[in-house]
Amino acid sequence: MDKKLLWRIVLIVAVLVVSIVGLYPPAQKIHLGLDLRGGIHLVLRVNTGDAIKAELDNASQLLISQAEAKGIKLGDPKIEPKALRFVVPVPLNVNRDALRQIIKDNLAQYKWSSGVGEWTFTLPKNIARRMRDRAVKEALNTIRNRVDQFGVSEPRIQRQGIEGDRILVQLPGVDDPGRVKDLIGRTALLELKEVIAGPASSRQALLAKTGGQVPPDAEVLTGDQKDIDGNVIGKEYYLVRRAAIVSGRELRSARRSQDQYGQPAVQFTLVPSAAHKFAQFTGSHIGTNLAIVLDNKVMSAPVIHGQISDQGIIQGSFSVQEAEDLALVLRAGALPASITYLEERTVGPSLGHDSVVRGIRAGISGLIIVIVFMLVYYKWSGLNADVALLMNLVLLMGAMAYFGATLTLPGIAGVILTIGMAVDANVLIFERVREELALGKTVRSALDAGFSRAFGTILDANLTTLIAALFLFQFGTGPVKGFAVTLSIGILASMFTAVFVSRTLYMIVLAKKDRVESLSI
Amino acid sequence: MRIIKETHFPFLSYRWIAIGISMTLILLGLAAIIFGKGLNLGIDFAGGTQVTIKFHQKPDLNRLRKTIARLGLGAPVIQRFDEPTKHEILIRVENPKGKEGDFTRPILDLLNKEYNGNLGKAFDLNTGGVRELTHLLIQLDPDHVAADPETMASHYQPMAAAVMTYRKDAGIFSSLKELDSIPKLSAPVRAALKQHCAVGTFSLLGAQSVGPAVGSDLREKATLAVVFSLLGMLIYIWIRFQLPYGIGAVGALFHDVLITLGALAITQREINLPTIAALLTLVGYSVNDTVVVFDRVRENLRLTRGAELQGLMDESINQTLSRTLITSGTTLMVVITLYLFGGDVINTFAFVLLVGIIVGTYSSIFIASPIALGATRFRNKMKRRRREGRRRKR
Repeated sequence: MDKKLLWRIVLIVAVLVVSIVGLYPPAQKIHLGLDLRGGIHLVLRVNTGDAIKAELDNASQLLISQAEAKGIKLGDPKIEPKALRFVVPVPLNVNRDALRQIIKDNLAQYKWSSGVGEWTFTLPKNIARRMRDRAVKEALNTIRNRVDQFGVSEPRIQRQGIEGDRILVQLPGVDDPGRVKDLIGRTALLELKEVIAGPASSRQALLAKTGGQVPPDAEVLTGDQKDIDGNVIGKEYYLVRRAAIVSGRELRSARRSQDQYGQPAVQFTLVPSAAHKFAQFTGSHIGTNLAIVLDNKVMSAPVIHGQISDQGIIQGSFSVQEAEDLALVLRAGALPASITYLEERTVGPSLGHDSVVRGIRAGISGLIIVIVFMLVYYKWSGLNADVALLMNLVLLMGAMAYFGATLTLPGIAGVILTIGMAVDANVLIFERVREELALGKTVRSALDAGFSRAFGTILDANLTTLIAALFLFQFGTGPVKGFAVTLSIGILASMFTAVFVSRTLYMIVLAKKDRVESLSI
Repeated sequence: MRIIKETHFPFLSYRWIAIGISMTLILLGLAAIIFGKGLNLGIDFAGGTQVTIKFHQKPDLNRLRKTIARLGLGAPVIQRFDEPTKHEILIRVENPKGKEGDFTRPILDLLNKEYNGNLGKAFDLNTGGVRELTHLLIQLDPDHVAADPETMASHYQPMAAAVMTYRKDAGIFSSLKELDSIPKLSAPVRAALKQHCAVGTFSLLGAQSVGPAVGSDLREKATLAVVFSLLGMLIYIWIRFQLPYGIGAVGALFHDVLITLGALAITQREINLPTIAALLTLVGYSVNDTVVVFDRVRENLRLTRGAELQGLMDESINQTLSRTLITSGTTLMVVITLYLFGGDVINTFAFVLLVGIIVGTYSSIFIASPIALGATRFRNKMKRRRREGRRRKR
């Protein structure tokens, strides 16, 4: 056997072996897309404006309380999150130097200007951008934590775009979209706050005790009013101190437990530094109420009976499941901002299952039809093309396994289409060889001419299809991207099998004979 | 075997007839798009919420429509999905203008109230999930495992999963008796499930919700993908051949895409992301076909310098005719199996390819070359004029 041929055979066998090894075991190597295996695909937006608003809120409160400590009384701040600023009324007779010093010490990152009667504090754009970015990153982490605790295999959680505020979440095999969305979307900010007044049955009744005004450092929150059995019978209003004593970020752990009535509840433990703060506060406020606030809703407001250091319990009319979920999200941490769902796709596993079965059935029937046609039309050469076609499929699957590509429903269609188009290269070559034979050339020179002339055509024709596939990949999303990948790999693989492998097969067959009289084509 | 022997059809002589037919088809399609019902944009581009549900009996579509109308979200689309014997229904509602949000939950709640009102507090095997069922079993503890939660979970979770796998394969539980055919369940668990569970009238096969922000995003990306791939091909063919051929190929592409879009508008099939993928595949396929012909024209031009272009093009089309028809034939066979047996989900995908391949094959024979011929003649005329203009100036 001549050396060139041997080299070709070695290369083909090597490529085949690599593909098969890469593909084995197929069930683990070929990743099925969400549309085939069932699961949930979510795109959500982190409302980063929330983080900005919270920052402006905190900064203005800090300024007011620090000023008050120095004997300077400031008015109610006006917060304008869209303009990245807040405005604080400043009486004209205050000690401006002292105020300047407070700002310098506490609000160094703000740009501020003093007008007549009110001072404006603006958050620089680049700092705001950094905050938004951090909010998205924190949200990403929190969501990842929550999903990890939920126990989903192979979840995909990633940010869309480098500066974007969108997060993509894909959870294969999850069959309960409502619950997952609640779990991911809940802000879950736990705060322990001091109750100034309440509970009262209406806002007016609550504020009657404080003269109809909400003090600047306080806020009105609501909670469920319950009867003795724990059934919700109405709404209750509380006036609480705005600044939290302890927040959910200072939790060490949270788990499901029971309250004194045997109802499901969530018990939490604080980290040591927060426990210290909490002990100090409860020690000096015995007899008053403490509000346990979750996402701005008062869950309960028990009376402080004695000093508490590091433990607390959240009561609500929870089911076991709800209590468990709440403990889970508290452990995973709060979201830095609220989120909005932009896109949701749930594929029930049976729909996915059905699609796979049908797609594969259609593919196999298509494959058989094409194989038989080639055999009938081109006889032994048809067999050659069929071998190339099957090898093309093995290469395609192997390459997909190697790149970790995902097989989607349009992807299966792509594979099926590749079957149809893969024989195209062979058809081009065979028709050319027939033409050359009709011109009276010998078998060998007809094959030579057929392969070399057809190659240019195949290259041009396939490259144009590849251009379409590349743009499809660039702009496609989800299943469509999967389709673009299978199509591209299929095109490249078909060029190798139809041109190189087919040629080698002819060389093997013709190598034994000195003179070839005819070609079965 | 050989279907097509040597042929000598004067294809380009019929070019005006072909162009006439094509223009009629394109105008019909455009009329359907502009004056008719227009393109039926699916959920990917129009936004909204779409829920696929399987009933275990034939559902009354009118009752379903009335139930969904209670959401107050405009006229819901309610149609049969897949084969009628499967009792699968597709429900689609629009999002209120400019509002993000997903209406899967409200739709399911409504359906639950309407169809499963008699279930009471029983666990619905058709809408529940693995985790909930595991929880239920842990609470009931029919096998008396009575250990820590994790041991109990590892005991009951596989059984819950087996129940859900059964539903996955069957699509829906039609009665509690079907629990008997799940071998993984222990006898006490089976009994407990029969006592505490119920079988609702429907199961959820899938749900999709696309808000306006993502919808407009997807529209933009799809448009960009189509425009850029057309441009990319024009440039590639311009470089590899000549500009008139690039114009011919891209002209044929526009022709194919417009006719296929027209067919989509007339049949009112939904246009979703996979449909766009199919359109782009068709673009790649059709240009592939055209390039094979042009490639032969280029080769023949080299062999016979100074030959008359129209006759040479005719000869090239005839020489590649058998290849064109065989490739289209094999691809078509595959696409037809996909169309017939591929299921509802890829049916529109296959439809686009089916129409596209037929139109694409026709256009690479009858449309691409006439455009290239016309463009070449136009270019030569311009060149001649410029040359004459220069001569006159001298």
